[in-house]
Amino acid sequence: MTWWRSAWAVLEKDLRLEWRSRLAFNTMLVFALATVLLVWFALGTQPVVPSVQAALLWVVLLFAAALGLGRAFVQEEERGTLLFLRLNAAPLGVYVGKLLFNAALVLVLGGVACVAYVIVLGVQVEWIGLFVLVLTLGALGLAAATTLLAALIARASHSGALLPVLLFPLLVPLLLSGVRLTRHALEGGLGWSGTTDGLVTLTTYPLALVAASVLLFDYVWYD
Amino acid sequence: MLSSARPRGYVWRRALIVVGMTYVILGGFLLPFPRVDNILGQTHRNLFFHVPMWFTLMAAMGVSAFWAFKYLRTRDPLADVRSVEAARVGLLFGVLGLLTGMMWARFTWYQGTGKWWNNDPKQAMAAVQMLIYAAYFVLRSAFDDETRRARIAAAYNLFAVTTVPFLLYVLPRQMASLHPGAEGNPAFSEITHPLMRAVLYPSFLCFIGLFWLLYTQRVRLAWVQRRLHPDPLAL
Repeated sequence: MTWWRSAWAVLEKDLRLEWRSRLAFNTMLVFALATVLLVWFALGTQPVVPSVQAALLWVVLLFAAALGLGRAFVQEEERGTLLFLRLNAAPLGVYVGKLLFNAALVLVLGGVACVAYVIVLGVQVEWIGLFVLVLTLGALGLAAATTLLAALIARASHSGALLPVLLFPLLVPLLLSGVRLTRHALEGGLGWSGTTDGLVTLTTYPLALVAASVLLFDYVWYD
Repeated sequence: MLSSARPRGYVWRRALIVVGMTYVILGGFLLPFPRVDNILGQTHRNLFFHVPMWFTLMAAMGVSAFWAFKYLRTRDPLADVRSVEAARVGLLFGVLGLLTGMMWARFTWYQGTGKWWNNDPKQAMAAVQMLIYAAYFVLRSAFDDETRRARIAAAYNLFAVTTVPFLLYVLPRQMASLHPGAEGNPAFSEITHPLMRAVLYPSFLCFIGLFWLLYTQRVRLAWVQRRLHPDPLAL
């Protein structure tokens, strides 16, 4: 099978399995919604400046993603289907399929969580276009960073707590640019020219991570 | 293949490094450098220790990533041992560099403010690098099978290298640096007296040499222990 067909098959299989149980998605969603409510309780009625709003939103998203995205390969290990996948699909196809699945998962999660965050905390978004663009790119970056790490920890003991530890240091460039651009989107009044640096990082960093993952995935995949 | 015998030329190289370090420590503390009448006072002597520690951290990162790459290519267990030990010794130099930097900044740049941690891009970069190595060791401890642990750790080591160019690009745009050579600050060579350079340049070589000594010793120790206790859990 060529790699794009295996990628499509892996994506279809994962979406179908996820649709049946909705375990990863529901975990991440409930976690994100609960955290949004906790942030609201913790802040009380105090007005919060946009920089803090942007930072809290990203922290909620990062933790929710770190909780659910590690499932991609762990579930193959738990169900004992890892060997089957290794025999039947091209490694690149497996990686791309899992990447697309994670991207779909985190995009939907991010969308729902952001809407809840904006409504519950009464956040004013001045520049909706940039807000949506930044969070979409951020979600894709999260998927790019987690997919290879999920494959790394698939056979580790205590894999649940391991993913955030491995993931967070690698997310620093994404977080720095993402929070800053989200703040611009909340405040508004700044043209595209002020966003170039951040957008360059938000687009090229996921691409670099995917390139590194593709190069390294063969070594991770085969024993 | 590494033998447990001492490599040729080891003794005189070690002697050279010991003599050099003695010169750097004595010279760095005792030589009469022209006194700068600003906030620096005598603290500029920290230059001979703080800066080479950073260079050593960067060199150790490079060595560790190189051996991780070699491991994935050759599956030679010795390459994995080298990669781990370079990371371990590099982490030591990084922590020392971070501590000396924090002390220096606290009593010069941030004199009177009581701040120990500040928004310096180089400091942030170092903190992220420490965090990556800490995660690397946590990841290693999560695997019982020796070859799998080596393979997975090497992949994480190389994956983490992807962040370095982005951190170098993003961080200086987000925070202003007070380090020499940053935007608007004088370059390093403009603010150092020739006498200081006579200590600083040997200091770079000696710290790299010290790293090499500790690193090779740790590699040999780990390799000998491995051969004494083939049980992977004993390492």
